Amino acid sequence: MSEYPWQLRGHCYLLGDNVPHPGGVIPLSLITARETDPAVLIPHLFSETDSGFAERVRPGDLIVTGKNFGMGPKGCGYIAMQALGLGLLCESMSVQAYREAISTGLAVLNPCPQITTMCAMHDDLEVNFQNGLFINHTKNIRLEFPAIPKELQELVSKGGNTAWLKFWQESQKK
Amino acid sequence: MGLTAIEKVLARVCGKTQVIPGEIVYPNPDYIMIHDVLVRETKIQLDQVHIKKLAHPEKVMMFSDHDVIYGSQRAAERGKYNRQAAKEWGVTNFYDAGKGGHGHIFPMEQGIILPGMFYFDNDTHATNAGAVGAFGIRVGGEISRVLGTGTTWLTVPKTIRIDLQGQVNPGVLGRDIGFFIARSIKNGSIKADFDYRIIEFSGDLDQFSFGDRVALCSSPTELRAAGVFIPPSERILNYCQAHHQSPFTPIFSDPDAQYESTYTIHLEEIEPQIALPGNLSNSVDISESLNIPVQHAFIGSCGSGTYEDLLLAAAVLKDKKIHPEVRLFIVPGSEASTRRMLREGLMEIFYDSGAMILPAGCGPCNDAVVGPIAPGENSISTATNNNRGRFGANDAKLYLGSPLSVAASAVCGKISDPRALAISQELLHQIESAYV
Repeated sequence: MSEYPWQLRGHCYLLGDNVPHPGGVIPLSLITARETDPAVLIPHLFSETDSGFAERVRPGDLIVTGKNFGMGPKGCGYIAMQALGLGLLCESMSVQAYREAISTGLAVLNPCPQITTMCAMHDDLEVNFQNGLFINHTKNIRLEFPAIPKELQELVSKGGNTAWLKFWQESQKK
Repeated sequence: MGLTAIEKVLARVCGKTQVIPGEIVYPNPDYIMIHDVLVRETKIQLDQVHIKKLAHPEKVMMFSDHDVIYGSQRAAERGKYNRQAAKEWGVTNFYDAGKGGHGHIFPMEQGIILPGMFYFDNDTHATNAGAVGAFGIRVGGEISRVLGTGTTWLTVPKTIRIDLQGQVNPGVLGRDIGFFIARSIKNGSIKADFDYRIIEFSGDLDQFSFGDRVALCSSPTELRAAGVFIPPSERILNYCQAHHQSPFTPIFSDPDAQYESTYTIHLEEIEPQIALPGNLSNSVDISESLNIPVQHAFIGSCGSGTYEDLLLAAAVLKDKKIHPEVRLFIVPGSEASTRRMLREGLMEIFYDSGAMILPAGCGPCNDAVVGPIAPGENSISTATNNNRGRFGANDAKLYLGSPLSVAASAVCGKISDPRALAISQELLHQIESAYV
């Protein structure tokens, strides 16, 4: 699992509480169409609230959210985040939303209590998703949040559900 | 320390003596369920990684309930794809369009899903299994992993207990209680977060029939619960004994089980409820929403798709006509219920009233593949939720009520209290023997 980039460093993209997945993260039409192609999804990530996000963002950037991120189990926006090399840190998200995010292979820390009070937009952040270490270099804050559970690290590191199934299938042949 | 029902059931399917909330486990399910909308993308995903054989095809149940009548070329092609997928996968428990009905209703009616069972499902409304004291847990797109490998990871949920005390008032049904719980969370009288919790009901439960129990499972699901558990009554167990298709062992929580929290609801305080548009937590007593005109109505869905719900609707509609400006869709939960409506005279009552009968399944509640609502119209229904755009135009107003309230409103052309109308007592009495 060492090849997976457990540690990300980048700029903070700060969001508030109760951001709905439809509209708040990605347009409803793509969710309804059950679109799963990252190339199709990426240009639409946060497009209804922040046009140009997908062009500005860089691999390693970290999305920091308030409570109840996604507001439900819908999840194709996480595919775009994972493909862009982003990480996600939420004060809270529903367990089913967390499941959707993890199953795309996205690096997620949840819950991260009060993290929105420790970050501002564009802060220089560094996070290790394997052990939960969080550093805000801009504000000189360092603390630990719950890491991705050990039982799920293989699923994430292989790249999510489909990639894990491929890994499993090949291991069965051996 | 005692265990809750979900902890006992998960321990059984994990081959353990006990499991602890928060623990990640890999259950060996009794069944694996997938509905028509998700088959194609799941099969493509498995084909991509060269998984052609399912781990346990004998456990898989495939349903065609979301888009039953193929309202588009795309849907017809999907139906064809699904039939081929069932063949390639060797799934014999395939309930194609017109062959079974609603996947969260008829497996309980037919004695397939039974007390103490556990299954994985791609869909949120798997929680309906709580009506017979079983558990279905949604895993979304990861149903592909369950199909391919036989299991997937699951975090053991915590359990919240809701104690229902007293007797329900006349005209109050399971859906009304669910809407009341939703508003109680919103107004803070229940200070609970249902996210991924099992909601276990206790208290004076013997008064609740199968239909009421299915209805009680509906609202917690929309409040993000992982499951609902209603300890099966003698009446439910007798039904299951009479119809079971496999052996089963009912499971109950231990008297000293540990709950995250417990709340009490006094049933006599509850009046018929109407959920105002946007969310079911916007529910109010029906007296606060009377006379709002409606043009669209339907009775059915996961929450109100039992034969009892059809009897309730028929009891209101008997010898009455739907208001000329209203279209009412009746959506049975199973093909068996449709045939029974024909045998027992309900079909005639509905058609005489001017209602339209759709094939068994989800009806308009699934993305409005049938019976959508137009911009600017108002709807009242027993849909599972009334989120914006749930079954048609985004600017339509979607109200929810019990089957009695929906039928009464369809007759009057405006939101109306069913207690103010003449209702066939003969049909209401048939509810007692609807599931025996």
